[in-house]
Amino acid sequence: MASVTSEQETPGYEVRLDFFEGPLDLLLFLIRKKKINIHDIPIALITREYLTYLEQKQHLNLEREAEFLLMAAILIYIKSQMLLPREKDYELEEDPRQPLVSQLLDYERIKKISQLLRTREEAQSKLWSRKNLPFSLSPPEEQIDLEEISIFDLAEKFFTLLKMKEGQSVTLPEGKKFSLEEKIREILISLKKAQFLDFEEYFYSQSSLEEALISFFALLELIKRKVVIALQDNLFQPIKVWLFQGRQDEYPA
Amino acid sequence: MNTRLKEIIESLIFVSLEPLSLEKIKSLLTDFPPEEIEKAVEELLQSYASNQRGIQIIQAAGGFLFTTKPDFDPYIRQLLDQERKSRLSSAALETLSVIAYHQPVTLAQISALRGVDSAQAVKTLLEKKLIKISGRKKAPGKPFLYRTTKKFLTYFGLNSLDDLPQEEELVSLLEEKQEKKNDSA
Repeated sequence: MASVTSEQETPGYEVRLDFFEGPLDLLLFLIRKKKINIHDIPIALITREYLTYLEQKQHLNLEREAEFLLMAAILIYIKSQMLLPREKDYELEEDPRQPLVSQLLDYERIKKISQLLRTREEAQSKLWSRKNLPFSLSPPEEQIDLEEISIFDLAEKFFTLLKMKEGQSVTLPEGKKFSLEEKIREILISLKKAQFLDFEEYFYSQSSLEEALISFFALLELIKRKVVIALQDNLFQPIKVWLFQGRQDEYPA
Repeated sequence: MNTRLKEIIESLIFVSLEPLSLEKIKSLLTDFPPEEIEKAVEELLQSYASNQRGIQIIQAAGGFLFTTKPDFDPYIRQLLDQERKSRLSSAALETLSVIAYHQPVTLAQISALRGVDSAQAVKTLLEKKLIKISGRKKAPGKPFLYRTTKKFLTYFGLNSLDDLPQEEELVSLLEEKQEKKNDSA
């Protein structure tokens, strides 16, 4: 930043163009460096200095440096205006440098304000209000970050899955009956082993429509009794079923 | 003086995530006369300023807000496992300075004052909600006009825009800087 470099007026200190916020910043820096009276700028000198800085740049990035080039053109234009023989009306004629001078003064003011704001920003950044406390302060358990799923979300997901399964299982296997109790036990056993159950995967692994339905009812029953909890990272993310903390012992498998 | 009043106000400020204004407090506590509320707020502020506490009540954006005291920032960052809070870029800060002092102002005016195209900086500030579009200028092309937001005040710990240094203060600050330069030269 220019303000830093302008403070240490080391002769021959190499300053890169990137340090400056813009051509006005660079001009101000040069004026201060050469201890020039801002109301009486020797345009020829300052133009030479200014162009030296531009020349340090080997490749001009037009997007960013076009403004620096424009300022060079303005400086040369002002110089040419000053070389022109003046009209009789000395008093009334404006100094061709005047618009640039007021622009520089305005800019200097803006820079000062930014410095003041920077100080305030610095001071303010050391104050923590409840609002800017980050989320990491909440309990680190991963489940906490997840959204709890409502029965409706679960049912909706189940029916979409059922539809997808529909085409696959045309033949209903005979004989084997599934009981709700059995399913509940089965779910609890796999939950204790695997910590959580991927809802989608689980239903895909069911052999028949009947079994899937029973599993779904088993799951609903477990949610109702608050033995398990269905959670989702985010909308459209896979639904996971977890054992409810502290409750698993009440429902021995 | 009702001592409970002070406690009620304290609890209200504590719960508020945004600065809580005196008007809001008054509108909630209609049972109490406004003068008493003002007095209680004053006392509350004093008790936090003088007491040896880690938290304080600051006045920002026209309201009261609980924050920690600045000295404890290193400990808090350790607790939160956080780096220093990110700062605005100098381009963004400069742009914000122009808007703060010249509002409502158009992008073209901002760019002219800075001598640099400021579209990107304005975009950043809009995203950070430090400025807002306040309307359109009645000029060719009807350009947007920009203003600073309440969040701008909170961010810089300003109670209102009047808290920004006035013209005379700025002039004296600038002169001071000049003198310092001359002295060191």
